[in-house]
Amino acid sequence: MSVQSKAGARSAKWVLGAPLILFSAVFVAVPVFQGIQTSFYALTLQQSSAPFAGLQNYRDLFSSPDFLNAAKFTIGFALTVTTIETILGFALAMLVNRTFPGKKIFFTLLLVPIMVAPALLGVMFRLLLNGDIGLVPALLDKVGLHIALFAPDSIIPLLVVLDIMQWTPFTFLIIYAGLQSFPTDVLEAAQIDGAGRVRTITSVILPIMKPILFAAVFLRLIDAIRTFDVIYVLTAGGPGTKTTTLSIFIYKTAFESGEFGLAAAGSTVIMIVLLPLIPLLVKRIARQQGDLA
Amino acid sequence: MGKHLRIAGAVLVSSTLAIAGCSPSTGGGTGSAGSGTGTVKMVLWPGPEGDAMSKVVAQYNAGKGKSDGVKVEMTLLSRQDTYSKEATLMAAKSSDQDIYFVASYNVGQFAASLDPLSEIDASNYFPVAVDGLKYQGKQYALPLDVSNHFLLYRKDLINALVNDPAQKSAYEGIALKATGEKRDPKPPAQWDWTDYEAMAAYFSAGTNPKSPTQYGTILQTKNLLYNTMVWDDVLWGMGGSWTTPDGKANLATPEAEKAIKVYADIYKNGWTSPDSSQAEFPETQAALKSGKAAFAVQWSAGFAELNDKTKSPDVAGKMAIAPVPGQKTHVHALAVALNKYSTNKAAAKKFLSYLAKPEAMTVYAEAGGIPAMPKVLQQKANVNPAFLMIAQSIDKYGYAEPVFPKAFQAYSKLAEDLSGAWLGTTDANTALKTANEDLQGLLK
Repeated sequence: MSVQSKAGARSAKWVLGAPLILFSAVFVAVPVFQGIQTSFYALTLQQSSAPFAGLQNYRDLFSSPDFLNAAKFTIGFALTVTTIETILGFALAMLVNRTFPGKKIFFTLLLVPIMVAPALLGVMFRLLLNGDIGLVPALLDKVGLHIALFAPDSIIPLLVVLDIMQWTPFTFLIIYAGLQSFPTDVLEAAQIDGAGRVRTITSVILPIMKPILFAAVFLRLIDAIRTFDVIYVLTAGGPGTKTTTLSIFIYKTAFESGEFGLAAAGSTVIMIVLLPLIPLLVKRIARQQGDLA
Repeated sequence: MGKHLRIAGAVLVSSTLAIAGCSPSTGGGTGSAGSGTGTVKMVLWPGPEGDAMSKVVAQYNAGKGKSDGVKVEMTLLSRQDTYSKEATLMAAKSSDQDIYFVASYNVGQFAASLDPLSEIDASNYFPVAVDGLKYQGKQYALPLDVSNHFLLYRKDLINALVNDPAQKSAYEGIALKATGEKRDPKPPAQWDWTDYEAMAAYFSAGTNPKSPTQYGTILQTKNLLYNTMVWDDVLWGMGGSWTTPDGKANLATPEAEKAIKVYADIYKNGWTSPDSSQAEFPETQAALKSGKAAFAVQWSAGFAELNDKTKSPDVAGKMAIAPVPGQKTHVHALAVALNKYSTNKAAAKKFLSYLAKPEAMTVYAEAGGIPAMPKVLQQKANVNPAFLMIAQSIDKYGYAEPVFPKAFQAYSKLAEDLSGAWLGTTDANTALKTANEDLQGLLK
């Protein structure tokens, strides 16, 4: 390639990337910067001017039992659902990764939950699971199961199940896409060597699929840590603070309490925790792909 | 900092409004500041209040607005997010809207972004509704729609119990076992909270296998600020309140303990559905509509729907209304207020003055709203059978919680602190102590 064409390719890269860079600058970088800046000010609705607060919002945040409870619940919830969703997504992808009658319909139905807006899904669940008029309790009653789905003891398992129903298709989709590009000659070699189904999965498929699984786990984990919609619609974080996620804590702090500075500090903390995961993920995938090549 | 925030906030909210199809103007109105003419922009939320207000706005624009030289444009935000979007506009000191939609429970929080409305005549409203919109002695908003609570009950079931000696005898036994007190079945207008518990036990299949309903009642115990308002009726009914006369938090009291105990007893004994832990207005309506519960304390707006044959075929005609046991009902007003940063205040005040007149509120009542004017409610009893009861009940039994800048936060915090105790899953004394400390912190 000539020096001229190399320069042209470099310019084209910037020109073609400009809309995305501009979009990211306006809608991502500026709000993020404003958010971080706000976290250092005592900005509330009651004060028309916001005095500089230094690290006070962060001190308040880490001494707040509500924030710590929300962090504890969020981490437990996110780890639980991510683990189960990845295992189920993998199992489903293995199941669907073959030809069978009605595959297209099955595939489409499987993806429906991730196409529905989470808040709408929350409203639907609220109606479907209502003990007085809901379809699910009525069906459970018919088979002799009298379970109060919204009772304090069953609310967390219920939220986990609903999240799994909603987001397993997401991990399934990523893993299924990975299986589609799986090198078939490796599988054939394993078969010739007499490896059984389980051995093939544990010794051949899982090691090769590791970068894909890693991507599925990380993307899902990041999203699960930000969980808001369905839980907010169903429980608003209660009873008490039993199901308050970090996102619900931040939302309530900003819009119910009017403490924008404290809420911004909470958002900044989540961002600081999550942000390093992205380059780690990218690096890991790139390294694994390099190993394969 | 302030400028940056204002710009960021305005961009955020403008984008939201644009996406919702409600493109905001760049100023408060087309008329100049103080000219008293031009376009006035107003925010409201959708639902019965927004529907009714749209009729009032149409009437104003077609009549009085023309002679005033004012045209009102109303934007309906989402019911869930109206206040949060308004809060963002206020934090940004935006002049996009001239009139904000506020309520008794957040007027103190928003007061710094509102102009007092002292010169507008508020004498036609319920005094309790007007007082609930005062902050530091100044009137910051005008009541639009008034909300309070009632005991909504199945008159067919309660009347049968009160008039049938066999049922009466069974009731006395169940009431004694449930409450430890000897109780006769009384008409709902005479109930106190012990009667409420006894009735809840009697109409629960778990306690009384002959009960015609599965549960006696349904409690609204979701961790939600509006549910604090419902529980406050029990607290006030027991003689308690949020604060002492000198304004200090007053929740760690025997009255508050009793009020918690009423809820916890009902929940733990299964006299309400276990799902009440996540119940609010719609779930209460569903329990009454389906005939699974015999009675409940519910918002006044719920009654008309329950007696509508098309919406509630199983119970329409069987529902009746009575004052809340303990004869105390929370009252709050949904209200309209003037944006301090509006650039068209004079025109906005013309419209607000129009809203404060019975003529405007008559249109509002006819269109399905519940205006905060006793005279209009009495005159329009044919529109909604609950209007007369609302007028009487607010006048006789209404109370308003204290108004302070963090009142909105206090309602939420109390729901958060107490919702576990309402269900009996956390210790009542500990919960009340925490709630009292939190309330004291918010009162400062």
